[in-house]
Amino acid sequence: MRLTLHGTLLGMRRLIPVSLFIIPFGTAFGIAAVEAGLSPLQATLASALVFTATAQFAALEFLSEPVAFISLALVVLALSSRHIVMSAALSTWVNRLPKSKRFLVLAVLSDANFADALPDLQNGQDDLGRLLGGGVMLWTTWVASTAVGAWGGDVLGDTDAFGFSVVMVCFFAATVAGQVRSNTKLLVPVLVAMGIAVLTLPILPTGWNIILAALVGGTISVWCHGE
Amino acid sequence: MVSNSTFLLAVLIMALAAYATRIAGAVLMSRVRTTRSTNLFLEGLSASVIAALVASLLAQSDLKDAMAVFVAIVVMLATRSVIWAILAGMACTALISGLN
Repeated sequence: MRLTLHGTLLGMRRLIPVSLFIIPFGTAFGIAAVEAGLSPLQATLASALVFTATAQFAALEFLSEPVAFISLALVVLALSSRHIVMSAALSTWVNRLPKSKRFLVLAVLSDANFADALPDLQNGQDDLGRLLGGGVMLWTTWVASTAVGAWGGDVLGDTDAFGFSVVMVCFFAATVAGQVRSNTKLLVPVLVAMGIAVLTLPILPTGWNIILAALVGGTISVWCHGE
Repeated sequence: MVSNSTFLLAVLIMALAAYATRIAGAVLMSRVRTTRSTNLFLEGLSASVIAALVASLLAQSDLKDAMAVFVAIVVMLATRSVIWAILAGMACTALISGLN
């Protein structure tokens, strides 16, 4: 496996269109954070260091004295836990890099660069720059748009950006459709996973329905095609 | 409203927790011997996690979004281009919004 500058720049370019659609969320977080009592600098710092939209929004509920640090950590772990699954799925390629590069690439792991890089890696692409560059693009947009919301929220007024952008969902759905088309064995695991995610949505805490669904999808994939 | 030092501690804890989830899967897998079964598991896992995300988001959304996703999937299967799929999904949303 390689990690080249060329691949990184390609990854950045490829995720420019998708990044545009996280601007409303970043801006909304900046506004919400300032409303919750953070300074604009603090809000921007949170986006730069945490880089997980759902966990950051949820954490705002905990940022009043006295801060329940353990609950805060657990909430971030829970809402960010699907990264564990994605990181495991990428391990086949990521673990062939030297450790320092491995931990650098994974630092910007996110839904969109995972979805963008995975099909190419499965097709034999050997440059993890795609994943890193995509992540850097998303991170930069996330931090910059948070800053815009935090410092300019008064000017921007009420932004109704809390519904997940349909563009992002279309991007994810198209990626899965492409994966299933090139490997039809994935159809059953994917459909079962979708069913489980929906059925357990009202029962499980936010985010855990996705973990459960992914684990079941993985298990079915083994069960259907193992010896 | 929290003091600056409390905020810094809180944000460091959040950053560590988020980073831990990003490296945990790869670290865990580096300790497991990979076999055909683990590869099949990871293959199913990687497609399922995105699919589950889509299903979960759609379940909390409306029919308009579901139709856009349906169109995006059809266009993806026909053209194999993610960009065309997204544009078709957007066009679908714009069309429905225009009709209402």
